[in-house]
Amino acid sequence: MSPVVQLLAKRLSISVIVLIGVSMLIFAIARIIPGDPARIALGPNATTEQVMQLRDKLHLDESIIVQYANFVSDFARGDLGISLYTNRPVMTDIAQFLPATLELVFVAGLFMIGFGIPLGILSARHRGKAADNVIRVLSLLGVSAPSFVWAVILMLLFAFFLPIFPIAGQISDTLTVPPRISGFLLFDCLLAGDLRAFADAAHHIVLPAFALSLSGIGQAARLTRANMIETYDKPYIEMARSYGFPEQRIARRYAFRPSLIPSLTIIGLDFAAMLGNAFLVEAVYAWPGLSRYGVQVILRKDLNAIVGTVLVISATFLIVNIIVDLLIAFINPRIRYAERSRP
Amino acid sequence: MNTIAKRMAAALIGVSTMALVPAGPAFAETVLRLDEVAVGELDPAKASDYADSILMFNVYDTLVLPVQGAPGLAPHLAKSWSADDNKHTFVLRDDVKFQSGNPLTADDVVFSLQRMQALGAGLSYLFANVESVEAVDEHTVSFVLKEAYAPFVSSMLRLPIVDKQLVMENLGEGEGDMGDWGQAYLSANGAGSGAYKVTAHNPQQETVMAKNADYFLGVPGVAPDTARLRYGLEPATVRTLIAQGEHDISSQWLPPEVLKALSKDGAQLLTESGTGGFYVKMNTTKAPLDDVECRLALTNAFDYGSAIKMIAVTDDVSQGSAATGAIPVGMLGANPPMDALKRDMDAAKKHLDACRYEADDINIEISWIAEVPLEERFALLMQANFAELGIKSEIKKMPWALFAEQVSKPENTPHISQLFVNAVTGDPDTLLYGMYNSKLAGTWQSPEYLKDADVDDLLEQGRDNTDLAARETAYKALNDRLMDIAPTIYGFDRQSVFAASDRVKVPALSDPSKAFGLDGMGFSFRLMEMQDGK
Repeated sequence: MSPVVQLLAKRLSISVIVLIGVSMLIFAIARIIPGDPARIALGPNATTEQVMQLRDKLHLDESIIVQYANFVSDFARGDLGISLYTNRPVMTDIAQFLPATLELVFVAGLFMIGFGIPLGILSARHRGKAADNVIRVLSLLGVSAPSFVWAVILMLLFAFFLPIFPIAGQISDTLTVPPRISGFLLFDCLLAGDLRAFADAAHHIVLPAFALSLSGIGQAARLTRANMIETYDKPYIEMARSYGFPEQRIARRYAFRPSLIPSLTIIGLDFAAMLGNAFLVEAVYAWPGLSRYGVQVILRKDLNAIVGTVLVISATFLIVNIIVDLLIAFINPRIRYAERSRP
Repeated sequence: MNTIAKRMAAALIGVSTMALVPAGPAFAETVLRLDEVAVGELDPAKASDYADSILMFNVYDTLVLPVQGAPGLAPHLAKSWSADDNKHTFVLRDDVKFQSGNPLTADDVVFSLQRMQALGAGLSYLFANVESVEAVDEHTVSFVLKEAYAPFVSSMLRLPIVDKQLVMENLGEGEGDMGDWGQAYLSANGAGSGAYKVTAHNPQQETVMAKNADYFLGVPGVAPDTARLRYGLEPATVRTLIAQGEHDISSQWLPPEVLKALSKDGAQLLTESGTGGFYVKMNTTKAPLDDVECRLALTNAFDYGSAIKMIAVTDDVSQGSAATGAIPVGMLGANPPMDALKRDMDAAKKHLDACRYEADDINIEISWIAEVPLEERFALLMQANFAELGIKSEIKKMPWALFAEQVSKPENTPHISQLFVNAVTGDPDTLLYGMYNSKLAGTWQSPEYLKDADVDDLLEQGRDNTDLAARETAYKALNDRLMDIAPTIYGFDRQSVFAASDRVKVPALSDPSKAFGLDGMGFSFRLMEMQDGK
């Protein structure tokens, strides 16, 4: 078996175990949060009899082991139950809201890579100079302030004082939303050949995605800079210089690639972490995504939806990690060889 | 190259020239954009909160409507009604059609009531007293009650009539012949006869409604063509959207500072009042609040004047007005505005001296609901007020879910709980019965655990008497009794304040003679006027 397939098989089996563990953990934790889900769902005016009826319907009075067994049996049939928050199947909610979050996180990830890595390289190449100092200060600012602070600051700057970006939703309400094919609005606009809608949707995603990515941009820039500087101190770089290779070639061919490996691991983790961090950005920009849904269902103690949302976010996190592992294995042959030689 | 690939290639080429071109309106129509914090429940049988009411009053119709600017009920789907002992009969209009085109008949009324009772959610408790409902003929329906209930007709304000035929065609899976009673369908679609029909519903984002051109009362041309009810917007977002001209009416839940800032920027402030109050509830089972003298000491020490200042938005508009007792001003049995409650420290000290507990030994737990930051300020105000009497207190933040669970047992219920309570039909019965009837102690509305035979008797008199004057007398006596035994500090009469752009006129929320006195009814879109050219 090829080492990459071995690696993939190993990662997948670990991921399944992790998901089972997460499902047990979140199933138990969701039931420990204070509050009766039936009471919350029925509203403050519901009578005790109504609450008891709903508790019975939801099997809330049975033991947690029986409840978990019911959940596993339903899950095996692709049924995550009904959300008490939206009164729809949790699967329907996830299918509707997940693409919006993935689209936001994907664009934020592009910003993170597109700005973070070049800034890190620039900073390392001009180490100790003005450009380096400016980038370091900006990176530190990006890392130290949470996404929701950036979300509010960017909204004030570019929507309130200088109104050039929209701040609510994915598309202007004066436009007709293209038919939902993939669920990813930008992609669906292109599929429908609706350029005006695409431009408008792209205009809408800029601010939230940038707010979400700022911390990642800072992190990526700092890491890339640190790794590049470490690599620049290696003897083979010194040797390349002594051969008279151009500085740009040294940076691109000999310094950047080895420096990318540790950065890629962290960028991959940041990318996945943005799924969880997106909730406040989604709240500020009224983005109809899964992270915002996740917060709402936790506040309402919507048990089925909590478990479903956490499982989907965990699964996405694990998938991104596997992709990063494979990428690193692709870039760094030593990892492939290590996998092959392991008993 | 296949069609999709061609389209995508064309789109990618073209979009580079359009990326920063702002989208203009695709067609000339008036759009009203408003927001609510909670997601709106479209199924009218489950409707309970404010967003649900806005949806319900626009998508569905009820048999009666509140009279604008005055107490009482006016005909709506029902032309007339009569009561004979416990039997109430309504004669329906014969010219009403649902949005589907189906005619509205007595069968639909029967079905709507039965569906509400079967689902047992939302405000269905208002109809628990209905023993049977019958379609006498195509346009006559009668309800038989288990026991006398004078304000029954006002309960009809909360019985939206659904299109039976449409629901039956869309029954989902469930137990019995009626399956899910159309819950899945009605959670995403409308089935009413209202002035607006649902065109899209995304519980995470918004519900979009469009004018129903066939509405039986007609919809004026100046009313918005489309209404978009958005959910869960942050205050900072609402403020920016209104400043950008991208939003028309805010929710009532904006902090006073944001409302004030919006008002300074030129937004109009709309108000809705007379439906409820801010109640500081004292657990009458826990020492020292099991002693009426101690409770009276606290009610007299409370600084009502500062409370009103704390909720002022501008010099003219406030989120509440001075309370005069348990019943908000304007409601049946209320005291007049000149009887506003005032702080009286001398009386407070006298009552404390008469209390069987020593002030030094008292330590009161003041809770506030975590989701309502305003209550923390009131908790601090009370702490300062009570400290002047030498009473120590601790402030405790409680999430709503935890509070609702803890109040089910008196020993777990805090000494003091702060709550906003409304009359869901505008009648004092739906405000006071749930709060003070001794049989209903221990719900979120009744953390006082009040057990008082006189109060129970007066509450029943309010229910039993069909004569309006007799009911008023009963509620006045009840108001006095509640002031004497002080289970609650009546903080202020609540007034909901909404910030709005100058694109819209809302007479029901700006002109007292047009006000409905029922939560959410002021948001009847058909009565709003969109301003041209703004």
